[in-house]
Amino acid sequence: MICAARRLLAVLALALVATASRGEVYQEPAAFIAEVFGSLPAPKVLWLTKDLQAQAAAILGHPPAQLRQRYWSDARRSVWILEETGKEELITAGFVIADGHIDHVRVLVYRESRGQEVRQSSFLKQFKDAKLARGDRLDRDIDGIVGATLSVGAMERMARLALLFDLLSHG
Amino acid sequence: MSPRVLLLLFLRRWHTRIGLAAVVFFLFLAVTGVVLNHTAELGLDNRYVHASWVARWYGISAERPRHAFRSGGHDLIAANGRWVLDGRLSGEKFPPPIGLVELADMVVVASSTSLYLYGKDGVLIDRLERNALPGVPVQAIGASASQLMLRTASGTFESSDALSWKRAPRDAIAWSSPADLSAAEGERYAQMLEPGVSVQRVLLDVHSGRFAGRYGPLVVDLLAVFLTVLSLSGAWLFFKRKHRRERH
Repeated sequence: MICAARRLLAVLALALVATASRGEVYQEPAAFIAEVFGSLPAPKVLWLTKDLQAQAAAILGHPPAQLRQRYWSDARRSVWILEETGKEELITAGFVIADGHIDHVRVLVYRESRGQEVRQSSFLKQFKDAKLARGDRLDRDIDGIVGATLSVGAMERMARLALLFDLLSHG
Repeated sequence: MSPRVLLLLFLRRWHTRIGLAAVVFFLFLAVTGVVLNHTAELGLDNRYVHASWVARWYGISAERPRHAFRSGGHDLIAANGRWVLDGRLSGEKFPPPIGLVELADMVVVASSTSLYLYGKDGVLIDRLERNALPGVPVQAIGASASQLMLRTASGTFESSDALSWKRAPRDAIAWSSPADLSAAEGERYAQMLEPGVSVQRVLLDVHSGRFAGRYGPLVVDLLAVFLTVLSLSGAWLFFKRKHRRERH
């Protein structure tokens, strides 16, 4: 009986791990960047200095995962591929910033078992033209989605971070 | 005594007995339920239990570390989705490494589909996934004349910053290869790298009864029946007493 229970738990755990690690790839990040610029430009790098790490940590609620942030840009737009944990797994999203405003956002990879509604355009269009306001907050409220509160929070944090990074990448 | 009074006494007695018998379980279910509702705020969603008996209970067989990758003064040992880089433990769900290379200003670890760039102090600088690599799967990582080298199915590539890559000749490359761990090292790292089960998962299984095996959920179902009986008998006793007061 105990062996059977263990086997059942192991199967459940493996199924969960397999689902979580695979995730739902809606668009490869490289394809998203190429779609914005027409081709894949060479990446640029924003180094997260101590001050920038502190600012990023204030937005994220935890220290940033890495010290070097890649981005892609032309004269007017920049693209930031960011990752943030929703509930348990990372959400990968692409942010296009133009003239200090969010041009558009797309969820590229979603790994959580629930909350996929954040990829819908009806939710994402709330970010259109958003910019940074005082305290590195967005200049507007983002309406939540029932059952996807943590994913919505993660998307909002990433949007703020993308705007901050864009601001600082211009020197 | 009338049958109605007897029924009242019977209900009161069993209401008390069931309540007392189940109080510990109800408190336990209430506490675990509240904690589960706030796992993100409590930071439990990214915490793991690393106890060999928990892993065994979940049927997870621990992978024993057998090899180390070494380059310069750095070493990396991996098992069970975790890494120890220069004595510092990584988080969970890390891929199996295929090599480690020390460059002038960073240490680079490769898995078959990603590169992890660390500063000399062990802080993660960047993580490059398949889209940022010149090809996948990565078959080997090495160094040549201060350049980072990657061998993939589509050729050998070199880079100085792990951002831009160009094809490279295949000669004079020091490829990273695993070195066997001694028995003592294996034992020490096996303890450090025990497999983990997320705290949230354990809590959820404890709350639902699944942690106790096939019959655990049935016990929790039985507690739900007890709670229903308690609620109904409590309500009945309350209204009966109120009704009697009003008559007097």
